[in-house]
Amino acid sequence: MMRTPSAWIGVSLVALMVVLAVIGPPIWGEAAERIDPGAVLQGASAAHPLGTDNLGRDLLARVLVAGRLSLALALLATLAGGLAGVVLGALPSVLPRRAARLVTATVNTLVAFPGLLLAMFIAVIAGLGARGAVLGIAAAVAPGVARLTQTLAASVAGRDYVAAARLLGVPRPLILVRHVLPNIAEPLILNLAQAMGGALLGLAGMSFLGLGVQPPAYDWGRLLFDGFSRIYVTPVVALGPAVAVALAGIGFNLLGDALARAAARTRAAGAAPAGAAPAPADPGEPDPDAVLEVRDLTVAFPGGLTPVRGVSLTLRPGEIVGLVGESGSGKSLTAAAIGGLVPYPGVVRAGALRLCGRDARTMPDRELGTALAMVFQDPMASLNPALRVGGQLAEVATVHLGASRAEAARRAVDRLGHVRIPDPERRARQHPHELSGGMRQRAVIAMGLMGTPRLIVADEPTTALDVTVQRQILTLLREVTAETGAATLFISHDIAVVGELCDRVVVMYAGRVVEELPVAELAGGAAHPYTRALVASVPGMDTDRSRPLAGIPGRPPAPGGIGPGCAFAPRCPVATSRCTAERPPLAPYAPEPGASTAHKVACWEAAA
Amino acid sequence: MIIEDLSVRFGAFTAVDGVTLPIPPGSAVGLVGESGSGKSTLARAVAGLVPYTGRIEGARRVQMVFQDPYASLDPRMTVGASIGEGLRGLGRDARRREVARLLDLVALPADLAGRYPRELSGGQRQRVAIARALGARPELLIADEITSALDVSVQGAVLNLVRTLRAELGLSMLFISHNLAVVRYVCDVIAVMREGRLVETGPAEEVVAEPRHDYTRALLAAVPRLTGERG
Repeated sequence: MMRTPSAWIGVSLVALMVVLAVIGPPIWGEAAERIDPGAVLQGASAAHPLGTDNLGRDLLARVLVAGRLSLALALLATLAGGLAGVVLGALPSVLPRRAARLVTATVNTLVAFPGLLLAMFIAVIAGLGARGAVLGIAAAVAPGVARLTQTLAASVAGRDYVAAARLLGVPRPLILVRHVLPNIAEPLILNLAQAMGGALLGLAGMSFLGLGVQPPAYDWGRLLFDGFSRIYVTPVVALGPAVAVALAGIGFNLLGDALARAAARTRAAGAAPAGAAPAPADPGEPDPDAVLEVRDLTVAFPGGLTPVRGVSLTLRPGEIVGLVGESGSGKSLTAAAIGGLVPYPGVVRAGALRLCGRDARTMPDRELGTALAMVFQDPMASLNPALRVGGQLAEVATVHLGASRAEAARRAVDRLGHVRIPDPERRARQHPHELSGGMRQRAVIAMGLMGTPRLIVADEPTTALDVTVQRQILTLLREVTAETGAATLFISHDIAVVGELCDRVVVMYAGRVVEELPVAELAGGAAHPYTRALVASVPGMDTDRSRPLAGIPGRPPAPGGIGPGCAFAPRCPVATSRCTAERPPLAPYAPEPGASTAHKVACWEAAA
Repeated sequence: MIIEDLSVRFGAFTAVDGVTLPIPPGSAVGLVGESGSGKSTLARAVAGLVPYTGRIEGARRVQMVFQDPYASLDPRMTVGASIGEGLRGLGRDARRREVARLLDLVALPADLAGRYPRELSGGQRQRVAIARALGARPELLIADEITSALDVSVQGAVLNLVRTLRAELGLSMLFISHNLAVVRYVCDVIAVMREGRLVETGPAEEVVAEPRHDYTRALLAAVPRLTGERG
């Protein structure tokens, strides 16, 4: 939180104000009250840096002492306004519908009313003095807080855990106190820190207008009021309180900002530098037949986390390879590394990362952009919601292929038709939100086909889709692969989908490839206990209903907690002491001599 | 219990359109359909979470387990407090014992009661959500896509738990999923829903083996099969 200068300044200023409020009156209290008839209405001097007032009291001391009252009143006003706002904002969620509407309408009206005007109005009604000013400022703070509370509460009220509590018969007021308020407290508190700055300024303003603190008490606003009449003669007397008010206001606003930013930032991993990974093995000669060649790919994050560790993959033209694994297995990061999309602060290391024989890491974006097509789970993440579909596709051609606009637009319509989007001319003119989920995913695939892709990386492209639409997208992917001769890397957690679409399957566990096998062997011939367990745990249309499903006990290791041996050993039914001590390499697996060499497994027990 | 002629309308849009579906005591009825078919809205109506027209008879205590175990547990409440919410009229000790019993029922260690949801895995959270629902001793348990947010290896364990609980407690269930294979595995009866209406209802094996409606056939054909033929 202290990383930005503004945060640092905010915290320092607020700390300074708190210190001032605590030590101000005891230290300078006497000096501030000392009447000196010989030094009335003076300007700045060595004895009185900010001059004196009409009774000869030192204005610097008065400014320093006034801090306590100014800050205390602001705090009081913020708390009172905050409390009133929270209550007003929360009421609609417990009141009957009609009463709730009335409260909402009242809040809306108050929000539309200028805050300071409302404050003055209330202050005049409540009577001149500190009490009136505090009530007035509280009234000005309350509507904004109420509105915020209402909005936040409405979003929490839609959560499943609130629905669950309702089902359990928890009364509404209790739901509000127990589930809603604790979950909206954080943004509310941040907002109140900023409101405090506003309250300070507002109170100073009220006192300045003579509506606030009345003599003999004084706050910064009052001092400003007293000094203002002399501003043309001795400007310095008004300067002191003005600076104090400004600094405090800025301090609280910056603090609120910094708090909000710190809360919004997801807790990042520790800032420790990434552990030195072993130097990647010799890249070797490029494989002339391979579209994609990955050797010893490692993705590391600061804090010693390496979600991908030593993955090697080779894809040939026209081949669809499935990359399966559970969440956290590193499959999606592998895909991201291939596309150069690993998020900061991840570090990618690889012995080789070649696309069509060339290093993908040093490839110019323009070539990578046409040779590689990426399809993600959420097509909306790949499409700009504000732009027309056709325009976004055409952009690929104008940016990467140097096509003219008309040419690019023609090609976009052609590609949309190619992925079987009906009426492509009309669809090209539409925005992404006008398309169904399946259509959008087709449009993303069409975007990949604007160039001449050599490699299609599809990361869970059908997970968000219905089964019938999933089937269509799978068919489309197969057709596209066959006709372009590109290789497709299909990443999925769904082993059944992979088994249906792919030629070859690569199974990942805890960042490593544990098995690589032709798809025909997946259902019956898997060698690794993890692959076998995965296959067995998926209910099919012919699973025996009278018997329990096979599961995998335990849970995958945390990326930081993998021992020296096989990462699956703690959950493995056939693990031996060797498995926990020594990591099995990925080696060819041939149950009988002469079997295909395409099957590789990393397991001591399978290889035996 | 029976759901009779139930409809849910959101403005001019009819999400559920005159659904009649009996759920015999102790049986599990599976509801399949694609997104937008109205199956989740039907579930929420039966649970009393959305207003509806029509009648629901014979189920006074209904509980529901939601799809996303990351969203269905209050992040600021311990597991024990979440489960304990449904247990009213119990003393502090009795409540603690009941929470421990419920955790045991879903095969979780009792010391999990003091933990927060963020410390649990997805599968464990879903078990907690099931325990919370069971604590209210429901006559009908609605499971809305309870395994679709889970990894396959965890899905198997949760489905096994559901089957065990049914056998042990004689629970009536409305089990909603887009995955026909999962529904077939867990349920006795399958109801297929499309655009707010039921298009086919029948014994699970029968619906899967001899679907009568074209839409059911299309759904069945689209199920990815590990050992299936290439299309």
